[in-house]
Amino acid sequence: MKQRFLTVAASMLALTALVTGCGTGAASNQSTTTGSNGTNGTTTSNSSGTTTAGKTIKIGLVTDTGGLNDNGFNHLAYVGMTNAQHQLNGVSTSVVQSQSESDYVPNLSHFAQNGYNLVIAVGYLMEDAVKQVAKEYPKTDFLIIDDNITGIPNVASAIFQSEQAGYLAGVVAGLVQKNHELKGLNTKNVVGVIGGQDIPPVDTYIAGFQQGFKKEDPNGKVLLQYTNSFSDEALGSQYAQNEISQGADIIFPVAGGCGIGAINAANSAKVYAIGVDTNQAYLAPKSVITSATKGVDTAVFDTIKAVQSGTFKGGVSTFNLANNGVGIAPLMKGLPQSVQTTVNQVKQQIISGQIKVSTTVQK
Amino acid sequence: MIFSDPEIWAATLSMAVPLALPAIGGTFSERTGVVNIAMEGIMLIGAFFAVAFSYWTGSAWLGLLAALICGGLTAAALAWGAIRVSADQTVLGMGINIFAAGLTTFLLNTLFGFNGTPISTPKLPNISIPGLDNIPYIGVIFQNQSILVYIMIVLVIVSHWFLFHTRLGLRMRSVGEHPLAADTLGINVWRIRYFGVILSGLFSALGGAYLSIGVLNGFTANMTNGRGYIALAAMIFGKWTPLGSFGAALIFGFSTALGIVLQGQGISSNLLQMIPYALTILALAGLVGRAVAPAADGIPYDPRRS
Repeated sequence: MKQRFLTVAASMLALTALVTGCGTGAASNQSTTTGSNGTNGTTTSNSSGTTTAGKTIKIGLVTDTGGLNDNGFNHLAYVGMTNAQHQLNGVSTSVVQSQSESDYVPNLSHFAQNGYNLVIAVGYLMEDAVKQVAKEYPKTDFLIIDDNITGIPNVASAIFQSEQAGYLAGVVAGLVQKNHELKGLNTKNVVGVIGGQDIPPVDTYIAGFQQGFKKEDPNGKVLLQYTNSFSDEALGSQYAQNEISQGADIIFPVAGGCGIGAINAANSAKVYAIGVDTNQAYLAPKSVITSATKGVDTAVFDTIKAVQSGTFKGGVSTFNLANNGVGIAPLMKGLPQSVQTTVNQVKQQIISGQIKVSTTVQK
Repeated sequence: MIFSDPEIWAATLSMAVPLALPAIGGTFSERTGVVNIAMEGIMLIGAFFAVAFSYWTGSAWLGLLAALICGGLTAAALAWGAIRVSADQTVLGMGINIFAAGLTTFLLNTLFGFNGTPISTPKLPNISIPGLDNIPYIGVIFQNQSILVYIMIVLVIVSHWFLFHTRLGLRMRSVGEHPLAADTLGINVWRIRYFGVILSGLFSALGGAYLSIGVLNGFTANMTNGRGYIALAAMIFGKWTPLGSFGAALIFGFSTALGIVLQGQGISSNLLQMIPYALTILALAGLVGRAVAPAADGIPYDPRRS
């Protein structure tokens, strides 16, 4: 019997590998490989020169395991790419979602091999895969989100100083807790942070959040837990319930799809939440106070534009509050204007360098 | 002391449900002699259609019904392949898992788009049983749990009684141990096996629906996160009995809950995350004594040939 289980496990692994292998081919076939404006890559004259830089380019997007449904940075990258497809002439796009971490290299190579001009890798977790594949395909340009790869000329990296966005979100949480700005808050002044994994793109948000919160509410308490998952919603919900049972009434999940479950739990328990990456108020309008955002869509759009106009450069670009690369979503209605005023002040202080936000998490 | 905190037991119970239900389902299927590793896929199907119909009809109960129907149909397909066509049951089950993962993600994106299922999707109620509520420690554990938690507890007991203390249960077990002998006694082996496999589909779909409209009110791609496979381990750990499966599911649920609660105590979350899997390995390595599968498990039976 035990043997049978082993056989099952082994065949499961083999099949998973098989499926994901096929997945690359299949996914790209069914995905949106339409050229914009209907002029599909037929060999019509592209030397007309009337449209703005109408060079035909192919863009491939590889998501991490969070997938396009993460309501977060994978989704944002997709939004940026779709915007480029609609607004720039001659951009055709394709997406592959990674089912597991072992898919990263095959998925990236798949696009490079098929002559894509730019391959976008969403996420820090793809760093090694990008380094490997970019060296094998020097003619293809790569963009990696949330990581700083230097020294490879065909790799551009977009780094987000999300600690600044986290700081602003922390300021909001601190003010709300200290002054009990929202109804239903308890008197314990506890906020609960849920991280997906102990990695820099997650921890920068969290570090900023902790500092911002402590600045406004020095006696408040920040709980911090990691789920080790970016996709298990039910687990995220369970973590949130645990923090809520410890008195937390503002939950800040930085855990992709897993965090959606945490917001769901906060909503069910009638406590509050702060969204991440994109404005997540639509997930729970009565619970989400604000969201710490980062402009992955902008970074993707700008890079596609650069590739098309031939100005693509390798190296690291930093996005922060000063260039609106990170920020904070509009505050929930019903919060006093004073909160917004403080947020604006703090934002200016960060931009001017008066407030320095550390990226180290307090554990 | 963390173990005296009822919160950890509440979390244990709630994390055990999506393992116990498919594990009991698997028990029914394997007891009749059909290997079922498709719990993961059927859970996904159940989870998706529960949300879809819950949203379209505005009633979580109708969503649950739709989940059961779709899960039952998927299991029927597995049963047909395994029983009528005598196909390799492991390959069939794996096929269903892969099919379900693709189908549900495709339908999610086609019907609802990348922003996911609508937030207005109704979910099954959380209830507290009056009376139970007032018992000091136990009351807190059962406070405000999903109604499916109570349904699961009833199902565990009924399943065990059914499998070991009723005539049909005895027939199911006999078909799984020695189909030829059962056949000569006039038991319709195929019919009993269809019954067992479809029953396992219903239980797995219920487990999936617990995740999507019991804990949450939405579906995300691959939201079962391998729980169907852990349920497979729970079934073996529980020695192919409903009570045993439930016990194993509780242990796995407890290790997840422990992982959550211990995090504040300065223990690495990465280590804690390993507990369920380490336990599975220990279980399979014979920690709980020899686990013996039903003798005819996985072997197709063709009455025309014997």
